[in-house]
Amino acid sequence: MKKTAILFVLFLCLSAFNIQAQESKINGDAIFGDLTARHIGPALMSGRINDMETHPTNSRIIYAGTAGGGVWKSNDAGTTFNPIFDDYCQSIGAVEVDPSSPDNIIWVGTGETWTRNSVSIGDGLYKSEDGGANWKKYGFEKSERIANIIVNPNNSNEVYVAVLGALWGDSEERGVYKTTDAGATWNKILYTDQRTGCADLAIDPNDPNILYASMWEFRRSGWSFESGGDKSALYKSTDGGETWNKIHNGFPEGQLGRLAIAVAPSNSNVLYTVIEAEKDERKGLYRSDDAGANWTQLNNDFGLTVRPFYFSRIVVDPKNEDVIIKGGLTGSISRDGGKTFKTLGNMHSDIHDVVFDINDSDRIYAGTDGGVYRSWNGGTTMEIVENLPLSQFYHISVDNEEPYNVYGGLQDNGSWYGPSRSTGGINARDWNSIGGGDGFRVLPHPTKKVIYSEMQGAANVWRYDVENELVKTIQPLPVEGHAKLRFNWNAPMATSEHQPDRFYMGSQFLHKSEDMGNTWEIISPDLTTNDQTKQQQEDSGGLSMDNSGAENHTTIFTIVESSLDENIIWVGTDDGNIQITQDGGATWKNTSLNIPGLPKNTWVYHIEASVHDKGTAYAVFDGHTMNDMNPYVYKTSDFGATWTSITTPEIKSFARNIQEDYVNPNLLFLGTEFGLYITLDGGKSWSKFTNNVPAVAIHFIDLQKRTNDLVLGTHGRGVIIIDDISPLREITPEIMTKKVHFFESKPTVMVDQSGFAGSFGTETQFVGRNPSRLPQIKYLLQKRHTFGKMTMEILDMDGNKVSTLSPGKSKGINIVNWNYRIKQPKIAKGKTTSGSVSPRVPAGTYKVVLTKGKERYEHNIELVYDTNAGLSEADRTLKQKVNMNLYNMTQELAYIVYQIDTILESSDTKNKVKEQLQALKETLVITTGDNYVGSAEPQLRELMAQIFSKIAYSYDKPSPNEMENLMIIEKRFNKAKKEFEKLKSKAKLKNIEMKSFDDFLND
Amino acid sequence: MKTLKLIFLALLVSFSYSSNSQTAEEIISTYFENTGGIEAWSKLEGVKISAKINQSGMEFPAEIIQLKEGQRMVILNIQGQTVKQNVFDGEVLWNTNMMTQKAEKSDQETTDNMKLESTSFPDPFLNYKEKGFTIELLGEEEIAGTNTFKIKLTKKPMIVDSKPEENVTYYFFDTENYVPIATQSEIKSGPAKGKVSETTFSDYQEVDGIYFAYSMTQGLKGQPGFSLSVDKIELNPEIDAKEFAYPEDTETPITDKKN
Repeated sequence: MKKTAILFVLFLCLSAFNIQAQESKINGDAIFGDLTARHIGPALMSGRINDMETHPTNSRIIYAGTAGGGVWKSNDAGTTFNPIFDDYCQSIGAVEVDPSSPDNIIWVGTGETWTRNSVSIGDGLYKSEDGGANWKKYGFEKSERIANIIVNPNNSNEVYVAVLGALWGDSEERGVYKTTDAGATWNKILYTDQRTGCADLAIDPNDPNILYASMWEFRRSGWSFESGGDKSALYKSTDGGETWNKIHNGFPEGQLGRLAIAVAPSNSNVLYTVIEAEKDERKGLYRSDDAGANWTQLNNDFGLTVRPFYFSRIVVDPKNEDVIIKGGLTGSISRDGGKTFKTLGNMHSDIHDVVFDINDSDRIYAGTDGGVYRSWNGGTTMEIVENLPLSQFYHISVDNEEPYNVYGGLQDNGSWYGPSRSTGGINARDWNSIGGGDGFRVLPHPTKKVIYSEMQGAANVWRYDVENELVKTIQPLPVEGHAKLRFNWNAPMATSEHQPDRFYMGSQFLHKSEDMGNTWEIISPDLTTNDQTKQQQEDSGGLSMDNSGAENHTTIFTIVESSLDENIIWVGTDDGNIQITQDGGATWKNTSLNIPGLPKNTWVYHIEASVHDKGTAYAVFDGHTMNDMNPYVYKTSDFGATWTSITTPEIKSFARNIQEDYVNPNLLFLGTEFGLYITLDGGKSWSKFTNNVPAVAIHFIDLQKRTNDLVLGTHGRGVIIIDDISPLREITPEIMTKKVHFFESKPTVMVDQSGFAGSFGTETQFVGRNPSRLPQIKYLLQKRHTFGKMTMEILDMDGNKVSTLSPGKSKGINIVNWNYRIKQPKIAKGKTTSGSVSPRVPAGTYKVVLTKGKERYEHNIELVYDTNAGLSEADRTLKQKVNMNLYNMTQELAYIVYQIDTILESSDTKNKVKEQLQALKETLVITTGDNYVGSAEPQLRELMAQIFSKIAYSYDKPSPNEMENLMIIEKRFNKAKKEFEKLKSKAKLKNIEMKSFDDFLND
Repeated sequence: MKTLKLIFLALLVSFSYSSNSQTAEEIISTYFENTGGIEAWSKLEGVKISAKINQSGMEFPAEIIQLKEGQRMVILNIQGQTVKQNVFDGEVLWNTNMMTQKAEKSDQETTDNMKLESTSFPDPFLNYKEKGFTIELLGEEEIAGTNTFKIKLTKKPMIVDSKPEENVTYYFFDTENYVPIATQSEIKSGPAKGKVSETTFSDYQEVDGIYFAYSMTQGLKGQPGFSLSVDKIELNPEIDAKEFAYPEDTETPITDKKN
């Protein structure tokens, strides 16, 4: 008891210390406010799906559990999907809808289960009791991967969870678990050992006490994969999991690998399993017609045996026990009980899961490496779901075009580049293919329209001359006097800010080219540990050989040339070395031999050479392939002589990438397995950024220098951009004590460029959001504004009001857009509505006035003209004058019509005068018809609006033709005005309450 | 070791107790207390809100009327013409077609769902039990840096595509002032079905003893929307019932004449 008391006191002290320590730190949660990310996809190639799930009674509802992009729900039978799991781990193993409460209870097991080298990790089991709106965690934090969840169809409280478990290390948290109290407590009901997890679990829908579990012995390292062993087995329980027996009668001899299991819903005696065995001829599909007592091998075609760790799903048509689909490279379907198979229709390769529609087995949904596909004809033709932006980037980069482009390579989906902005949003058609295979790094040439891209293990490194459409492969080849080259699956490349044509590649050596890859020079010794035991990739795979190149190890993984000194090059290797040269490669120093707190050989995922100081660099180490899920972020200020950790407990998972701000050295961005973290104090404290950034694995971050946009390459949610992070640079503890702080902004260009969106056929497509191009007023509020009035006005420098805006009220950063137009003019009242034109304000300085209660805060913003339009100062002045002339005329016309209407409504004026006024009015505004094809002949108001809009919305100065047309309008207006004045003088105005022009305008 | 666990557990319990010591019921009652009192709220017969809809500087004046018996309408002023939208007289829901400028009835399902909304006036939390609504405190959550109580309000199910759907709105009450600063709900019908809409509230001001939010923004969660700033709120306005009635069209449409 005494011990606990001491512990308790200690705990209190610690928390007190914590509070104190935090005082000197800057808490990001109080700052981020309205700073919100936007997603730009792409979705056209989508991304890897792990598990599909249907609703048992509503065929419109489909769930997709994705490998790295969370859970998505369709309410329209798979036409479109919406994300429902953004706040949580995005790597999904299994989604289960409770058959007894399908509208409410959904279970999600995190951690994808098709265990390729690049998989993300899970962090436990979740349940929603309201159809996916809110989620609660139900333990299994260390499970890493959950393969199945099964709810007893007769009892919502009874749930089974299959934990596949850790991929890169031993774990006791594997096996089959059961709850009988809806998840409050769990019992482990089947466990083999620390290497063997439950890979598949099935229940007999007709007798929920009968369960089948496949146990799989497996292990991955950074350099090898092993599938199979003596412990892999298929088990059956007939007592709700209390006792289990192996059911191997008819199984192949020797060791087993990954096994799939499926029970035919229409006949529970029919079972199928797919077996990975020692001998090739004994692998493949097995069927039992007596509920597992005996098994017969039916088929060992390639489609049934291919890469069991990646494809081990067998699905039986719910209405026909003889129709089965097996996941695979192409996916296979049998309609004769498994004797023969044909491939599914054309779709993206690598099919991981398939579900049949609950009512119509012709309708099939397939989850692939390239998203979800639908079929309406039993799998013969497949069509892709177009709004799943699940792209899995390994790397991204940006250029300096206007708008800038984002480049990157994707898991199994090639390499791409696309614009950060496009007319009507960033569409599928805006993206350009720039390489095949698995894409990794893509770099634009610093000055020319040339792009470097690659496929797995530098098998091809392409140099693409965009303008001339010329492609060449330029990967370094082995040369006399050097060992065989070892390239990482995700081989590093780098360009130079000093020499635009310089290009680096890393094998175990650093290769340098000064002519864009035509000629290569090796400028280093082997920079890795060259540990031979990690170079036996031909033995990788276990029972099924799997030497794809993905496990190549002891290679260089990251290269950076200092932007301050071209002779300084940093190189990081996948086996833990950080090497630096300060003389352009003549001599090298390994700086990572004794980094405090860092386990030996931890993968150097990224080195960020500081732009502020030559000797400063940041390094992010990733130990997850050694089963170490801790973040390791270090900084050196002495060329690597010493490294200091800037990791804090606030960072909840391992990290891969860091981005330094170009202006404020204390502002750093960290990409982790579970989202983005930001520090404003050089790493003393980190805050998770969540405003529209899901808890997704961020593999690479870049900061666009001109726009200050932070661009995130995520492995599951495509490209995510936080526009203009410059306000974060200004944050200091002093600023945070101010009630209101306006952030500095660059002069904003009033954009003249435009185009056509042409959004035909995009209704069901994902469209990426554009950034705002309007001037943005950004300020920090110390506290949310809740009570009392808070307003914002824009004044010109003479104090005249130009516009009223709705200010943001959030605690932290607020961003308010202004369309730099004056208020729309008052328009004459007619029978129909007319075009309303708001001209732009002239370029110059404007005053923003924020009024909060009794206090008034001011800030100036500046607007400049778009030089792309090619207009001179005189042109701008003329245009402004013409616009304002039309603006005033429009309002004057409105006032005339108002006066006419007022007189017409009064009783004193003679009917003859009224008739004349009515006749005049009919020439001023439309008085009949409607706003569509019933419209009447346009009158002065309409003609005036036409020329006004033509001139005001053009980028150009008014043309001679427009000026001539304007003269007709002006003439007609002046004539009408005169006529009105004449008639007005005849009217009896004495008893009429006529508003003044100013009152009319302000009404 | 066992005692240690117990202590730890006790510690956890006490923590969770302290954060949940507020019940949903108490939060709602403090909300009414802070905004004028249950009695004042209960006496409300109707409100007329004069506001401006603002999108990056483009302004549209609008009037929003809601009465106790469920009648409501939005009156837009477009170039001097009044255009009524979203008008409900308690039985018929109608809108003005902007092209023909004529009234058109909404589909029956939307009308029925609007009818369900009638009881929400002036505030769905007022006598929520009698209305058949339920509330639940889900915990505390941050909305753009501000700590809030997240309360789930479940109204009577609505009908979507002929099927009943749960009618849930999440309210986020500022933990300092106990007024809602945001609501979120899943869009249940139309092409945006499945997406989450968000409304935020600020600038609470007093009108004859009751506090109303004078500033609102509305849009999809995480995306920019439009904002509404209130100029004036009139309590218990006198509105002729005819104003809400569907105008039966007697004229031949002009389009027919033309063709």
